[in-house]
Amino acid sequence: GMFAHLEMLEKQAHEAAMKEEAAEQQEKKLSRLKSRVQELRLQRDQLREKVEQQEQPGKEGAASGPAHPSARAVLEWKIKSLKSMLQLFYLTGISGKLTKQGVCFCISTAYEGTYLDFYYLDLLTKPAVRIHRHSIPTFIPLEQISKRFLQTDIRRFLAVLSDHLNAYVGRRHQAEQLQEHFSDQIVGTMQRNSLCNLLLFNYKVLIDKQPFQLSARLLYGDLCSSLPTQVTISSTQDSPTSLAETAAAHSDLLRRVALHKAFPSLLSTQ
Amino acid sequence: MDETVAEYIRRTVLKIPRDEIKTMLQKWGFLSEAQLQNINFHQIKENISQEVVQLCEENCADIKQAAVLDIIYNHIYQNKRMWSVYQMNKKGEETEIFDLTDFKKKIKRQLRTALKNVTINFREYEDNAIWIRVAWGTPYTKPNQYKTSYAVYHSQTPYVFISASVFRSNLPLLCQALVVATSYQDIREMELRGHSLSSLKDIVFRRYSQNFQTHCPRPLQERNVAPENVDLRIIRENKTEKEKIERVNWEVFGHGPQPKLEFAQYKLETTFRSDPKMHILDKKEPFRCMVKFSSPNLLESLKSLAPAGMADAPLSPLLTCIPHKARNYFKIRDKKDLLPGGFTSP
Repeated sequence: GMFAHLEMLEKQAHEAAMKEEAAEQQEKKLSRLKSRVQELRLQRDQLREKVEQQEQPGKEGAASGPAHPSARAVLEWKIKSLKSMLQLFYLTGISGKLTKQGVCFCISTAYEGTYLDFYYLDLLTKPAVRIHRHSIPTFIPLEQISKRFLQTDIRRFLAVLSDHLNAYVGRRHQAEQLQEHFSDQIVGTMQRNSLCNLLLFNYKVLIDKQPFQLSARLLYGDLCSSLPTQVTISSTQDSPTSLAETAAAHSDLLRRVALHKAFPSLLSTQ
Repeated sequence: MDETVAEYIRRTVLKIPRDEIKTMLQKWGFLSEAQLQNINFHQIKENISQEVVQLCEENCADIKQAAVLDIIYNHIYQNKRMWSVYQMNKKGEETEIFDLTDFKKKIKRQLRTALKNVTINFREYEDNAIWIRVAWGTPYTKPNQYKTSYAVYHSQTPYVFISASVFRSNLPLLCQALVVATSYQDIREMELRGHSLSSLKDIVFRRYSQNFQTHCPRPLQERNVAPENVDLRIIRENKTEKEKIERVNWEVFGHGPQPKLEFAQYKLETTFRSDPKMHILDKKEPFRCMVKFSSPNLLESLKSLAPAGMADAPLSPLLTCIPHKARNYFKIRDKKDLLPGGFTSP
């Protein structure tokens, strides 16, 4: 009848209302998600921009040349040039390294292409420059040299000290070479001192096919030089006049040429 | 040949270990090779020494040659003697031209003018060391060859190494002679003593291993790391700590072997510090005591203390300053301004 019809209409209306509501909900959800998508899209675009910005300088550099090198390249160049600077100083014989309290220098010595000894000098710089520790031999006049130059001109101090050390090892090297290679021609033992600045030895020569023995005294008055300042050649036996000439020639040669190099000529001057 | 000389040679030969006798006699060079061949070096030492004395008779040895044999013996067995280090100083700045003959003449002259009865002998060695042997007598007696003093001098250095004999009263005489002969002004005994002469030389000549910081370290300085225990089941918990201790140790002692010293002596003249409530030694007088460290090789054992875990690294500077300060006798007093743990050494 009538009521059934009304019930049916009511039911229909209710269902319609439910549907509408559901549809509304859906739409709301949809619009919410859409706005979320917008947000994320915006973020993505921003990040993309950032990435592109970082990559761009490289691209720019390649395009515009070394005017804008990367930080890494600069650092590498700096390290390389420092290393070669250190290597250069090392080859000159004086190298240094900053320490917590000052500087530590290493003086390397050489004579005619042969590297010889290393010596170290550890300096303190505060409050004044002074020597903390060192491995310089005691017979090198370190106190004198430092008294004169250490406080005023440290470069000169190092140069003078290096000269002393190099000359000392040079003289020592010459004496050792002489003893090693010409032990047959040397009579008895060679007399030296710690600084190797006074050498005394006797050697055999042939003059007019006669054997003679000469006595050599080499005095190295200049401690920074590896050549003697005074050479005295004498003979103990009765000598002919030609011997005096030979002695003078030897004396002259030894003052100009290194001992171990001059020696073969000494033996064959006659 | 003098009876005393014969007896002296006999006793010197008896001191030498049997295996070394032949080499030492060859170094001496007083007996010819032919004579040495005739000696049987396998018999007991008593007989060897008798044969040597007989041959010396044939060659007419005198005290001078006998003294040379004594120098050779003492040079090879130098570590049997106790050596003190003396330091000389001068005011002038002249370059030193050291003349050995002049030096020897001056020593002899100085000693002989003061004391007529002395035996003086010299011997030079390859490392520029000049060994001086002095046998002392008195104005009325001949020199006693069994009580000798030895002085070792390296030319153009301010250090002399002296091994005194029982007659310490003659020491000032020897010191004075050295000062005059080397053209220095005065001499004083350093607080450095030991048996190993070469180690004492290393310390004062600065030849010992010091750790210098350089950019280009010598390639010889290979750090010898002990082979690690490869058993993977063992994990070293304090590896970083161990490495830190070793690094600190290397910084102090360097990489090479340490000079050999047998002891370090610290005389303390500091006040006793205790809890004031306990009233021990209330009087603020110095509590005198002496601490002495002995070891067959003191510096090496100090070096191994921290790595062995027996002491904290870095060690007290009182111990590590020994080679740098070139002394092993210290006097420790309180700092005047009462800061704890301070010290001044004369």
